[in-house]
Amino acid sequence: MTQRAFQAAVARLVVDPAFRDRVRAIGAAALEGELTSIEQQRVMSIVGEKGLDATRTLHKSFRLTKLYSTLPLTRQLLGPNRLAKEIGSFWEATPSDSHYFLDESIAFCDFLRKRLRSGLRIKHLEEIVTYERANLNLRRARIEPEVPKREIVRFRYDPIILFEQLVKGKHPRAVPERTCTMIGRVNKEGEVHWRLSEKVSDKL
Amino acid sequence: MSAQVVIEGNQPPFAPRLGVGLLYQEELRPFIECQKSSFDFLEVIPDLFWTDLGPNQSPRYIENRQAMEILRQLQADVPIVLHSIGLSIGSAHRFDREHVSQIARWYERMKFPWHSDHLAFIVAAHGAGEVNVGVTLPLPYDEESLDLLVPRVSEIGSRIPRPFLLENNVYFFKYPDQELTEAAFLNQLCERSGCYLLLDLHNLYTNSRNHAADSYVFLNELNLSNVVEIHIAGGLQHDGFYQDAHSGISPDGVWELLEWVLPRCPNLGGVVFELLGSWYVDVGEDRLIAQLSRIKEMWLRHQPASQQG
Repeated sequence: MTQRAFQAAVARLVVDPAFRDRVRAIGAAALEGELTSIEQQRVMSIVGEKGLDATRTLHKSFRLTKLYSTLPLTRQLLGPNRLAKEIGSFWEATPSDSHYFLDESIAFCDFLRKRLRSGLRIKHLEEIVTYERANLNLRRARIEPEVPKREIVRFRYDPIILFEQLVKGKHPRAVPERTCTMIGRVNKEGEVHWRLSEKVSDKL
Repeated sequence: MSAQVVIEGNQPPFAPRLGVGLLYQEELRPFIECQKSSFDFLEVIPDLFWTDLGPNQSPRYIENRQAMEILRQLQADVPIVLHSIGLSIGSAHRFDREHVSQIARWYERMKFPWHSDHLAFIVAAHGAGEVNVGVTLPLPYDEESLDLLVPRVSEIGSRIPRPFLLENNVYFFKYPDQELTEAAFLNQLCERSGCYLLLDLHNLYTNSRNHAADSYVFLNELNLSNVVEIHIAGGLQHDGFYQDAHSGISPDGVWELLEWVLPRCPNLGGVVFELLGSWYVDVGEDRLIAQLSRIKEMWLRHQPASQQG
């Protein structure tokens, strides 16, 4: 049992900076679970090591890489400061439970959509996050009967111009209104293809 | 049909001398397809060929059909060994038997000459669930850790009839008052469990640089007859630490370690160069070929006399 608690404490020192700071501040009283005295000494020793911070940097890099590589449009739209703030909040609420990119990125999209429903206001974010989530969802590995036939994303602004500006590294400006729908499908080779429709009906 | 491997009688059960290996990365595929003569075998990370939906899911592992087809084509040309990242063999809260079963299924299909994973814990209990740190966290070099690992390694050995190797870990912090040195711990682990070693010389170099230790003290204490595979790689200095980033060519210190170790590993099956695919554009084809050629030259120079010619 103590091995389990010890490993949980070491892992938490790496992934949870608030816990690490609490251990630094109040010592062993911050530790949970049953630890032997040598395990307590070891936790108290590594919490002061610079190597713990280096390990945390690697952990952050592991998580950041997943989001950076899979959500380029969301990343560009949010910009570095807002992105860092939202990722920080996401990580506080959601520990990493997988080394797979898509699951983590889809969870981050869901987190942002929840933030939007709670009052976060960033123009175009709802459409961009919904589009990138749908794109990832189509690429996500599944058991055969569960493979989605398509994903539908509604836009109120021209997605072509919006995407173009974001891909060029610009913050969207003067994107014209355009009520339309993007429909994504997966072909037999597993490739995702999107097409634009001016229709907005569910029966596309 | 897969590439043939030669089995030598005086090696660990079924561990052939393969030669120079390259870690497969998708970004390296054009290189691998065009430069097949520059390496003798490939090492693949099987976890990148499937998606793991998590413990107790059924089915849990969904294989990427396109990636599997690529793997099938590669295996027709060169031997392939597995180097997994998903077992987290040191996790105290659970032993992932489903992962072992998945590797065993791949063995039935691929008949790989050996397979390996990392001597570390990556997944730990976290509240009511668990957390995947994404970093190989060190186990204390204590009897208690041996008690955890030995039956697990033995179980893997009983399920997959090929040598199972564990890789010496890279770590950025050290636990005080450990009962054994790292080398003594590895010797004990191999002796008691029947596993072999994947000696990562770049990990050793990284640890020695970051903790001001002498790599040769470690190597002199280590039972090198347990080493079946060696890794070399390059890294970078960041934030006060040298990082095992697999980001470039191997530094001189790693080549010196390889030169020292090669004639002392009687059961060595191969030396693998690891390069993260995203760094290939910086390293380039010529320098990658040069790394592999240099390993080849050293490999051939240190083969037992009976193997030369």
